[in-house]
Amino acid sequence: MILGDFGTSYCKFWDVSVPDSQPTVIATKDLPAGIEVTIATGHNGKRFSRQYINELIALARGGEALINEDTYVLLDCGSRDIKFVTIQNGDLKEMDWNTECGASMGFTIELLEKYYELDYTTMQAPERTFSVTCGVLGMSHIFDAVIAGTPVADAVASFIKGIAMNAYRFAGSPEKIYLSGGLCDNPVFINSFPCEVVPLGRFALLKGLEHYARKLEH
Amino acid sequence: MENSSTVIIDFDTFKQVGIVGMPPVDCIGQLNERQITIHDLDAKLVPQSIDGISPYLPKVYCAILRTVVLNAMHLDLDAIYIDVGPGKCDSALHVSTILGELLDIPIFRTRNQDTANYGTPVSTSKLDLASKFLQITEGVKSAAHYETCSSPCAPRAGFWGVPPRDFSVLAPFPNTTHIYGWTRCMENKTPANEALEKQYNPDIPTVFFAQSFCAKTALAKFLAHQHPHALFVDVDFHTGSSARAKIQAFLELSGALQ
Repeated sequence: MILGDFGTSYCKFWDVSVPDSQPTVIATKDLPAGIEVTIATGHNGKRFSRQYINELIALARGGEALINEDTYVLLDCGSRDIKFVTIQNGDLKEMDWNTECGASMGFTIELLEKYYELDYTTMQAPERTFSVTCGVLGMSHIFDAVIAGTPVADAVASFIKGIAMNAYRFAGSPEKIYLSGGLCDNPVFINSFPCEVVPLGRFALLKGLEHYARKLEH
Repeated sequence: MENSSTVIIDFDTFKQVGIVGMPPVDCIGQLNERQITIHDLDAKLVPQSIDGISPYLPKVYCAILRTVVLNAMHLDLDAIYIDVGPGKCDSALHVSTILGELLDIPIFRTRNQDTANYGTPVSTSKLDLASKFLQITEGVKSAAHYETCSSPCAPRAGFWGVPPRDFSVLAPFPNTTHIYGWTRCMENKTPANEALEKQYNPDIPTVFFAQSFCAKTALAKFLAHQHPHALFVDVDFHTGSSARAKIQAFLELSGALQ
């Protein structure tokens, strides 16, 4: 039984019928034609499965499986959007999904790394923050800073910090955030949050789908 | 532009009349007595593109009132009754000015302050939510009292707000959803009843729906903040997939769909 999280930039798969199997990742642009999974989530998921679970539900179910607390904030930062759930005493307290002002931030961060040939794993979170409305509009700050003599790596780091601050405020400015999504692998992003961040990796939504896979099995 | 307070209305010449918002029950009753066909211009009635009204209204504007102007331009109407009182909004007042310039028919402004309660049996029934909204919005065309459609159900979810321009936003809700806000005021035929409009049930998960650019968006946001288990959703012309997904997730994770 294969579960699929079909994101804008990357797709994640997990064959839960194979004991101890690990999820795999492939770029969405390299997705083979005719692929079909048992249960899907993600922006592109409806086309590839007969059972579709929307991303917020998958995220919340993933949080239930991965977080051993009954009160927490779980924030997912993807290529195209950001979303969060706040659980209080085991019940849903608040949730939101920002597809507009969160537009393309993860995608833009990856684009900038490739274009400027940077390596985020070697960079530090900056002091300076750009005020970033969204991924696309925020790039103007980078260009202006570079023109003014700021090193490219510093300008991009300030841009990433601006995005992290946006995501932090969007999630309600909590003292602690559980973070999921591809940006969990980006230390500049994680260290830019003004609160404790617990990275859960990029498979939280797949973990949420497992909840529905177990239901199918029974 | 004409006004019902200063003009003698020759109803006998009217066959098709448009209404905007909720004109007073007396006004609707007079139209009913003369068997004049009433068109609710707030609803989607004509297939023409909304882009056709762009010379007259900004694109960033209430989708309901943009729909009103589109309907008014394409239906063969003899008159329009548009409520511009506390039961509607200032934007309707300005739209009445535009309709007066645009159309060669009488535009009657009304200020509905009816206080007689007709009851809210549909808002609390177990019909599917879209059917409830259809019954309530159809009800504005009649001054008659309601026939009881079904007995009240225990609520599992709440929908607070105005009737949405796009009813597809209602699809994820269970039949046990109770309606609150201005829609409940509509059913009760007291559209200016602010106290009724502000009511909600704090014991059930409730979606506070805002039609983008509607003045009632502020109240929706405020009440959602007060409610212990609320989701505020702002939807414009069409219900986007993210808004639908948010509602679906909220209802499922709140246990309203069990």
